[in-house]
Amino acid sequence: MTTSTLAMHILNGLAYGMLLFMIAAGLSIIFGLMNIVNLAHGTFYLVGVYVAYTFVQQGTGFWPALLLAIVIVAALGMVMEKVLMERVYGKELEQVLLTFGLSFIFADVVKWIWGSSPLTLPVPSALDFSLNVGLTEFPAYRIFVIGIGCLLAAGLWYMENKTRIGAIIRAGVDDREMLAALGINIKIVFTAIFAVGAALAGLSGVLGGPIMGMYVGIDSEILVSSLVIVVVGGLGTWKGAFIGAILIGLTDTLGRVWFPSLTMAMIFVIMIMVLLIRPNGLFGRGAQA
Amino acid sequence: MSLLKVEHLHKSFKGLHVLKDVSLAIGAGERHVIIGPNGAGKTTLFNCITGTLPIDAGTVTVNGQKISGLPAYTAVRVGMSRTFQKNNLFGSLTVEENVQLAVNACKPHRFHFLKPLARYTETVEETESLLKQWDLWERRSRVVNELSYGEQRLLEVLLALASKPKILLLDEPTSGMSPAETVQTTKLIQRMPRSITLLVIEHDMEVVFSIADRITVLHHGEVFASDTPGNISGDERIKEIYFGGGTLQHAEA
Amino acid sequence: MKASAYGKHIGCIALFLLCPFILTSYGVKLASEVLIMAIFVMSLGLIIGFAGLVSLGHAAFFGLGAYAVALLGNHWENTYLLLISALVISGLAAFLSGLLFIRSSGAYFLMITLAFGQMIYAIVYKLEDLTGGADGMAVVASPNLGAGPIDSRLGFFYLTAVAFLISYYFLRLLIASPFGKSVRGIKENESRMTALGYQTRTYKLAVYTISGMLAGVAGALYAYFNQYVSPDLLYWMFSGQALIMVIVGGVGTLVGPAIGAGFFVVLQNYISSFTDRWPLIMGLIFVLIVLFGKGGIMQIAALLWQRFRPQRNSKPAQQAMAKEGNGIESVKS
Repeated sequence: MTTSTLAMHILNGLAYGMLLFMIAAGLSIIFGLMNIVNLAHGTFYLVGVYVAYTFVQQGTGFWPALLLAIVIVAALGMVMEKVLMERVYGKELEQVLLTFGLSFIFADVVKWIWGSSPLTLPVPSALDFSLNVGLTEFPAYRIFVIGIGCLLAAGLWYMENKTRIGAIIRAGVDDREMLAALGINIKIVFTAIFAVGAALAGLSGVLGGPIMGMYVGIDSEILVSSLVIVVVGGLGTWKGAFIGAILIGLTDTLGRVWFPSLTMAMIFVIMIMVLLIRPNGLFGRGAQA
Repeated sequence: MSLLKVEHLHKSFKGLHVLKDVSLAIGAGERHVIIGPNGAGKTTLFNCITGTLPIDAGTVTVNGQKISGLPAYTAVRVGMSRTFQKNNLFGSLTVEENVQLAVNACKPHRFHFLKPLARYTETVEETESLLKQWDLWERRSRVVNELSYGEQRLLEVLLALASKPKILLLDEPTSGMSPAETVQTTKLIQRMPRSITLLVIEHDMEVVFSIADRITVLHHGEVFASDTPGNISGDERIKEIYFGGGTLQHAEA
Repeated sequence: MKASAYGKHIGCIALFLLCPFILTSYGVKLASEVLIMAIFVMSLGLIIGFAGLVSLGHAAFFGLGAYAVALLGNHWENTYLLLISALVISGLAAFLSGLLFIRSSGAYFLMITLAFGQMIYAIVYKLEDLTGGADGMAVVASPNLGAGPIDSRLGFFYLTAVAFLISYYFLRLLIASPFGKSVRGIKENESRMTALGYQTRTYKLAVYTISGMLAGVAGALYAYFNQYVSPDLLYWMFSGQALIMVIVGGVGTLVGPAIGAGFFVVLQNYISSFTDRWPLIMGLIFVLIVLFGKGGIMQIAALLWQRFRPQRNSKPAQQAMAKEGNGIESVKS
């Protein structure tokens, strides 16, 4: 393997890691703050990319489709939270079952509407060229995705550490009961977190469309990788989700090149090592749920 | 020689030094009571002695055997068992099932999996005699959550006794009890055979002085004094830190 | 057990073994499938209902058992050997994964078991040369307990029936034993169990391993039954289905999960005969059960029984049922 192909694989891994980060960030905060393992989180990714596909088919172009898909997915997340999740707060098993059932409903509905053959989202024409990044030629679109991921990470880091809402989230992850004691309207915070998490997953779906394509089952693949990232990075921390996502993204991409049949096992070995050495994840602060 | 020895024990939580250089020596058969204002670190001390919490420094030995650093379940193996300040029972099991579990904990057949527990006569008989001895036999088929608070408190002690401990750690055995129940429980503690060494955390001074051979005062995580009840009740400094004056005998924390 | 209780058991077993004579040939086949699923779901019910360990990766053990028969069956013929291999392989997988997972609990445990199950799924899926990948593989081995090959539907029914009865009575003994009672105590209050001197992790690991073994046996039987295995058997959807069967049947009971399995297998067969939308319908059932289901089938049956049975001293029975099967609620306690 030449340096230039290696560089290309690493960049691909980073791009994939950024897509995972966008999902894992929401999943991690929802779990950390609300103690919900949202098994329907992959659904937001799935719905996002398929909805964007339809808009693009209708001739809206990539960017409007991206925005519309995010809005629709955020609305879906909000409705899900308001109508269903709200009824089962505090009941761990019910929450899991509910989100589990929802993920099947949506996966099947998507299959019903869009069929089961894989589809792809075209790369937006403005970014459909290759850039010379020194060691290798690399698609500009993927550089763009990496850039968006880093921007998002910076934004979320700023929010987590420098804003009031970030302080609320940090306090809430450490001690859920404290939120109520602070006199904060938890309902609004929860709905907002859920909607933002959904929007991020939707964003990831649309951005991932031109790279990974779309097919039924990608939702659970993405979900499982994100769950591993949450375990590796630690609950309720965006920094953990970011580092974890890059780690898993790189392992997955390089693993596919070198040991195609053992990629998943390698990811899992990472998770096991983290569990053994730091049971709360690399950057986890709260106790294990 | 002391049965239970705690030497230079330190414990902190997130930078907060909860126990500072605590040393205790409790002789066989002694009734040793730990008192101290809220937040003095009494329950933490219990958790550290029994291994429920890992300690930062120091040693705990029972009968010359070092147990600090070992997992919590080993405490019972060396003959030390404990009760909890808040009832810590098997709420949806019956009284009998609760006691059976406690009795069975140290039996060689505790891992057997092909014969019903009800057919291990040794366990069944010990359970029965404990229940009868503690006046809970009539209530044996009740689910624990349905018992009165006082009865649950009693069961709390009973579970700890089931392993036939040499040392029993009681964490506020009378907390939340009615005056009548308190009197009854005090009597039960007084009647316990001297073959069981007692280490008790207690707030109610009447109870403290009616059972204690020795009293240790814990203050801000340090042993402030450790002496006979007579000397403790006469110590002005203790009155000061504990109550800000007043008489020790009649006060209640 | 009193003599009359023995009588009841023997009566039930006899009725159960006579089932094939009132069923159609297809019905007998379906009954075998129900029994296999019942063993699997009981194994999951054991850890959920009695140990409080809610796993979403249990299909991995079922699938490993099935693939053990499929893969080793290419080399060995002996049914006993293959069944034991399935049991050992699944048990080993459960033991090793349990060593790592058992100290986490609740949602964290669920998440890690889900990830573990999906990893096994992905490995089987990707090892195309060995497992046929997504296409799955045919099972060459056929069951033979020493008295000639069991190739009729009726014969297979009796094979699964015996396996089910052994599993059921084994679990019955297990949950009444010192070990089973201790596991129940750990679910109820782990910190007190530790204070009483129990090595709670050892118990949890042991019960998790036993559960994995049983799931492996069920998977092995399924491989014989279906004569074909595919990665779907390890997929998280299958784990989820088993989970909902436990809950529908009644958490904390032994028979409940078996009944839940029967209910679902029959329902799935019926629905699949006229629509492909089974995942959608299953998802809806999940949602409806969570939102409206209070307790499982066992609870509902107990209430109906209470209501329509002849008026006798039935109160204790109802209380016992209410105590036993609190559906979802009793998982956490």
